[in-house]
Amino acid sequence: MKPPKFRYVAPRTLDEAVEHLAADPDAKVLSGGQSLMPLLAMRLAAPSILVDLQHVPGLDGIEDQGSSVLIGAGVTHREIERSDVIAQRLPILSSAVVHIAHPQIRSRGTFGGSTAHADPSGEWPTVLLALGATMHAVGPRGRRTIEADDFFVGPFTSTLDEDEILTHVSVPTTRTAWSFQEAAVKRGDYGLALVAATGIPRDGQLAEARVSVGAAVGSVRRLTDVERLLSRGPVTDALAEEAALTAAASVDPISDIHGNSEYRRKLVASLVRRAVLELKNGA
Amino acid sequence: MKKLDKHQHMSTPAVAARSVGTRVLRSEDPRLLTGRGEFIADIDLPRQLHVAFVRSPVAHARITNIDLSAIRDADGVALAWSGKDVAAFCEGLVGEMAVEGCVPTTMPLLAGDEVLYVGEPVAVVVAESRYAAEDACELIDWDFEELPAVINMDAAAAGGPVANPQLPDNLGLNGGASFGDVSAAFDQAAQIVEGRFYTCRVSAAPMETRGVIADYEWASKTLRLWSNTQMPHYLKYMLTAYLGFPEQSVEVITPDTGGGFGMKAHVYPEEMLLPLLAREVGRPVKWIEDRRENLIAGAHAHEQYVDIAYALDAEGKITGVRTHALGDGGAYHMPPWSMAVEPWCAVVMTPTGIYDVPAAEYTYKAAATNKTPVGAYRGVGYMAGTFARECLADDAARALGMSPFDFRRHNVVREFPWTNPQGIVYQEGSWRQTIDALEEMVDYPAFLHRQAQLREQGRYIGLGLSCFVESSGESSATSLEHGLGDVYHDTATVRLNPNGTANVTIGLSAQGQGLATTMAQMAADTLGIKVEDVSVQTARSTDHAYGSGTIGSRGAVVAGGAVARAADVVREKVRQVAAHMLEAATDDIELVDGLASVKGVSDASVSIADVATAIYFDLDSWPKDFEPSLEATQAYDPSQAMFSNGGHAILVELEAETGFVRFEKIYSVEDCGTVINPNIVEGQIRGGVLQGIGASVFEELAYDESGQILTTTFLDYGLPTMDVAPPFEIHHLETPSSHSASGVKGMGESGLIAAPAAVLNAVNDALSPFGVVLRDLPLTPEKVLDAMSVATTASGPDEGL
Ligand SMILES: Cc1cc2nc3c(=O)[nH]c(=O)nc-3n(C[C@H](O)[C@H](O)[C@H](O)COP(=O)(O)OP(=O)(O)OC[C@H]3O[C@@H](n4cnc5c(N)ncnc54)[C@H](O)[C@@H]3O)c2cc1C
Repeated sequence: MKPPKFRYVAPRTLDEAVEHLAADPDAKVLSGGQSLMPLLAMRLAAPSILVDLQHVPGLDGIEDQGSSVLIGAGVTHREIERSDVIAQRLPILSSAVVHIAHPQIRSRGTFGGSTAHADPSGEWPTVLLALGATMHAVGPRGRRTIEADDFFVGPFTSTLDEDEILTHVSVPTTRTAWSFQEAAVKRGDYGLALVAATGIPRDGQLAEARVSVGAAVGSVRRLTDVERLLSRGPVTDALAEEAALTAAASVDPISDIHGNSEYRRKLVASLVRRAVLELKNGA
Repeated sequence: MKKLDKHQHMSTPAVAARSVGTRVLRSEDPRLLTGRGEFIADIDLPRQLHVAFVRSPVAHARITNIDLSAIRDADGVALAWSGKDVAAFCEGLVGEMAVEGCVPTTMPLLAGDEVLYVGEPVAVVVAESRYAAEDACELIDWDFEELPAVINMDAAAAGGPVANPQLPDNLGLNGGASFGDVSAAFDQAAQIVEGRFYTCRVSAAPMETRGVIADYEWASKTLRLWSNTQMPHYLKYMLTAYLGFPEQSVEVITPDTGGGFGMKAHVYPEEMLLPLLAREVGRPVKWIEDRRENLIAGAHAHEQYVDIAYALDAEGKITGVRTHALGDGGAYHMPPWSMAVEPWCAVVMTPTGIYDVPAAEYTYKAAATNKTPVGAYRGVGYMAGTFARECLADDAARALGMSPFDFRRHNVVREFPWTNPQGIVYQEGSWRQTIDALEEMVDYPAFLHRQAQLREQGRYIGLGLSCFVESSGESSATSLEHGLGDVYHDTATVRLNPNGTANVTIGLSAQGQGLATTMAQMAADTLGIKVEDVSVQTARSTDHAYGSGTIGSRGAVVAGGAVARAADVVREKVRQVAAHMLEAATDDIELVDGLASVKGVSDASVSIADVATAIYFDLDSWPKDFEPSLEATQAYDPSQAMFSNGGHAILVELEAETGFVRFEKIYSVEDCGTVINPNIVEGQIRGGVLQGIGASVFEELAYDESGQILTTTFLDYGLPTMDVAPPFEIHHLETPSSHSASGVKGMGESGLIAAPAAVLNAVNDALSPFGVVLRDLPLTPEKVLDAMSVATTASGPDEGL
């Protein structure tokens, strides 16, 4: 379990990093390395050069911008776990982060790395989809933003181009009703199913609900049927039950050694039920 | 049954317990817990080269061509060998056990014409770094024709495609025996309860993987081999027997070891290859197994079906037991043992357990499959057999409408010595007291009340019970009584220094059990000195004391016996000189609490330190004809089989939404005779039970239909972690052994032996409102939720079921 040969650079500016990426189609960004290095060690990936972002300035920081919080791609999971801004403005992130691996890995792994990696079992993709976050990227063709809905398009696949770097994620703070649910066998395990649900409480109802599912499915996705259901009226126990059934009917879960499709369908239904009940109490 | 002749080395001295029985802190811990241990990966020799293996990516194939030239030309490569190259030195390792119906196999060091399982070593590469070696491995050029992969043990045992041409019937093992009138018991039974139980394929997954370093000095023909093996002396013997290295110049060195659990109680191809490679390249070679290799190619364990049936009379007494075990042995017998470690051990060792059953019949079979060979893992055979027996006991209790405590108490052996139908004698035990103690600890009526209350709220808790008898102190006698003829004995050396401190060496390598601490306690009490004044060296090198291996729960018993015997020889010397100094008779001298005193004379004493100093430096203190060596080496082997016993009760809750099994509490009762050190015994219980929880709920080495192994990292192979470890309540009973030193019995395997049955019984108890009984491990959330699926409709389970 030793990686194959690769070159390594540690650029000091974002421009320099972009240049390295543009110069070599087999180059890869290295952030915390908690997903990339295992892939290399198992020889499932063999990039020609790793462009390490750890000395690139400007990718750190958690900034409260009022209706959103801007989180640098280089912010570690651990920094999010310990951030007062996050705890106050985006408590759903505080609730989700403790499910990510163990303290050692959280101290190295980054918010941006996890988002760019687009692992369907990752907590951040599911949470960011439910929050409607905006990704900020830079590449040889300049800067652009990508909405979460357009970002996560498949298992381990985002619409970030190979030569683009994710620099920040802008996360709206307006969705004050929220719930994050995870079913994992043991603490720190990847979940068998993840559900995140958010909305804006308005006149005793939940407006603009967004519900996303991860881990149980091939790639993170929204449960739009469930969202429509939630917009119909006040959130009640009966609605939670209906949402669970709707979720079960609308997902096409994966099967693997950790649980077959039918089992995961039941899990998603249970987590959606729990999430909606939590929204009810929050709304 | 054959009995052992009694020899001198089977008796041990009587000793006054001082430190034995107390919670002496582990002397190993300051060093190990602050990162000062030296494990095999920490050892680097000057000029060393690194080894990596090309392992088969397919389950079963004929190799039609293999070309290593690209590997040999690669940067930094010193040597590359395939099966042909190594066969010239060694055809392979024979795996066999002297039991009826065992067909031996020879496991080549590198695959020959056929590869028989995913992960089988095909070629070996020696290079300047592990990186270079792994890079070169990717350059292998070989062609193979895939052959049918034999994956399912039932199908394999029935014939069909052959997994290993050395076993044309796909059976590595096939036999059976009957004792007492089993047919009559079943013919006349008022009721028969039976079931087929499955213990899944697991890995011992020690924290430290395997590793080997070899250094050969051609001028003196000296071979030094570092290995984290549990059997250094046996390995040394094999290096001579198989490879011809001169015995007198071979040293096997065992550094600190991070867990073995039986996985390291084998002789592996890698351990045979490294010395050959070192000799060939003229430089030291090092191989540290990575985690993926460990999960794929370290011996697998425990996979078998056990079919078990009890004949019950009208009073609910078990009158006969039939046990049929079918093990999945993998592609070869795992040297030097065999596939017998699972199905044979299960049926020969466990069917009667704590129950007074007059007749027993068994058969055992091991099927060859195209999977990794199955070897030893804590509780070989005992786990699967105990699992089947104790789960059937709960089935029987349910069938009879008795509580699991009452059914067991109704059938338990009450008088000792007890001889089971096979003729195996159990000298003593607290089998009934274990049931009583557990029932009291769990407060059964209160539990039943709480269980009923919670069920009304849609919450499902369950209590599972499991009682065990563990053969311990693996010895020549144990082997013979179970129909084998293996000879075991160990030595220890004890030396008393001029200031009255002692150094002890034992022949067993330690994998974390705290042997340096417990052996210091045994030596200290025998010599009458303080435990802090004893330093113990566990087998670091085969140049010191001899040992038959740290296996079979034998450490405390066997090393303890040898230490006590050796210390006793030294004690005699001290008594002789003390007697001379105090002008008393040797027989009247006692050594306790640092003093040599004349029995019954309060002021007639001299410190043991002064006696030691005198023996080294003062001729005047010597009696006539005195021989002054204060160093003795003695052997020990228990004269009879010995058995510890105990039980666990495990409390679980099933999560109705997810099917997760949550562990609330473990109650454990252990009787290992005299407890040398309660801390260490309790550590063994906790660790073993947690491994049992793992094997029941979280762990399974999974294969797909083509024979690919799917669990090659800890991402997919789920080990239990601290967050799932529940609180323990541990109760000690002490029924000393009639014949071991200080009455000690072994207990290293009991946690894993007995916990899985308690887990399954607890889960089935929790599932009882659903009318479902599970019998296959692991109890995945999917299986549990399926069983509870009656409840996923809002109304909850039908209580009428
Ligand atoms: C034992 C273990 C358990 C884990 N458990 C969990 C878990 O439960 N939940 C979970 O979500 N994660 C888990 N992880 C993964 C961990 O959270 C990683 O931190 C995360 O997936 C990737 O972040 P990273 O900073 O380490 O990225 P890296 O590993 O450095 O990179 C990951 C990928 O993203 C790309 N990348 C990184 N940064 C950027 C960027 N700024 N722009 C463009 N591309 C980029 C890289 O090129 C690479 O392809 C676990 C990891 C381990 C080792």
